[in-house]
Amino acid sequence: MIEYLVFAAVFGLLLLGLHRKVIARIQTRPGPPIWQEILHALKFSFKSTWVPRTASATLYVGIVLIGIGIWSAAFFVVFAGESILILFAIYMLHKVVEHGFGLSSGSPYGKFGGVRSVISAASEIPLFVTIAAIYLLTGSLILRDITAYQGVHGPLLFIAPPFAIAMFLVILSKMPYGPFSIVESKELVSGYKTEHFGVWRAGLAVTEGLKTFVLLYAFVAIFIGAVPFWAALVIMTVVLISLSFVCAITPMLSPYDSVTIQGLITGLMLVYTGYLWWVIP
Amino acid sequence: MKKKTFPYGFAVSAIAIIVAWAALAAALIPLWAAVTIFVIAFPLLVLFLTLWWRAPGGEEDIPFIGY
Repeated sequence: MIEYLVFAAVFGLLLLGLHRKVIARIQTRPGPPIWQEILHALKFSFKSTWVPRTASATLYVGIVLIGIGIWSAAFFVVFAGESILILFAIYMLHKVVEHGFGLSSGSPYGKFGGVRSVISAASEIPLFVTIAAIYLLTGSLILRDITAYQGVHGPLLFIAPPFAIAMFLVILSKMPYGPFSIVESKELVSGYKTEHFGVWRAGLAVTEGLKTFVLLYAFVAIFIGAVPFWAALVIMTVVLISLSFVCAITPMLSPYDSVTIQGLITGLMLVYTGYLWWVIP
Repeated sequence: MKKKTFPYGFAVSAIAIIVAWAALAAALIPLWAAVTIFVIAFPLLVLFLTLWWRAPGGEEDIPFIGY
């Protein structure tokens, strides 16, 4: 199983490289090579590294371990077909990780990134509605049961497309260079990542790779169902390219607008869930 | 932590992963036990490996705190 974990981290970084490439080509730039994020992770791992004098050393280093650890756990939860409630609890923990990254260094840019991470918790609210609606439809939150339900009734993507769109937006809010990426916007240098350099940044890259893989794989499992592993990888790549299109053609929203739009999406999802609850016998 | 410590940390985490992987393959431990070891040891493996092979040099500094 450890080999799958390593594969997930590398493939996730490859997807992030593809994300940058697609955005660049849409914006008529050549863009970096697709394997750039893998090269970045390696490059950072070779650099000389220390802990800044203003940092809380324990939190500054520990948060890197926690970041890799929680997404490794999330990977195994999805891979074993366990409860999506655990998966999304881990997703919420990532908010704490972003906050910890930001506050641990003592840099104001990191702190602002961490604070924005708390503000952007609104991006998780559509997730709660999506989870509730999946339970309403399938009667279970265990991933194995959800895929079995889809084996009988067809993909949830076609049964309840608004929830797939809501989940798509949740993943979009975690993608770099997207409209909701306020935690790492350029006016904050690199946001919560600003002061994590060298080996620490390489660890963060592994976290990002795992996170991207897990979220996209979960999307495929929840809304498409049980497919061969190679097909899941192809669908994940297609979903990622669609995310890249959105990121390439939309400007980054201000924190206020970001929260407002995510709140509106949640409202729409609640109305749709209410409608489903009304019509489902 | 001294740089000499990092290869030991890397070796311990790598051994933990290999032992858990082999024990799982031989059905000696349940899946949850192996996964717990992976989740704890994998981050340590990554960090100890990179701290081991990183370039030397550098000292504590104060990060850029704005103009």
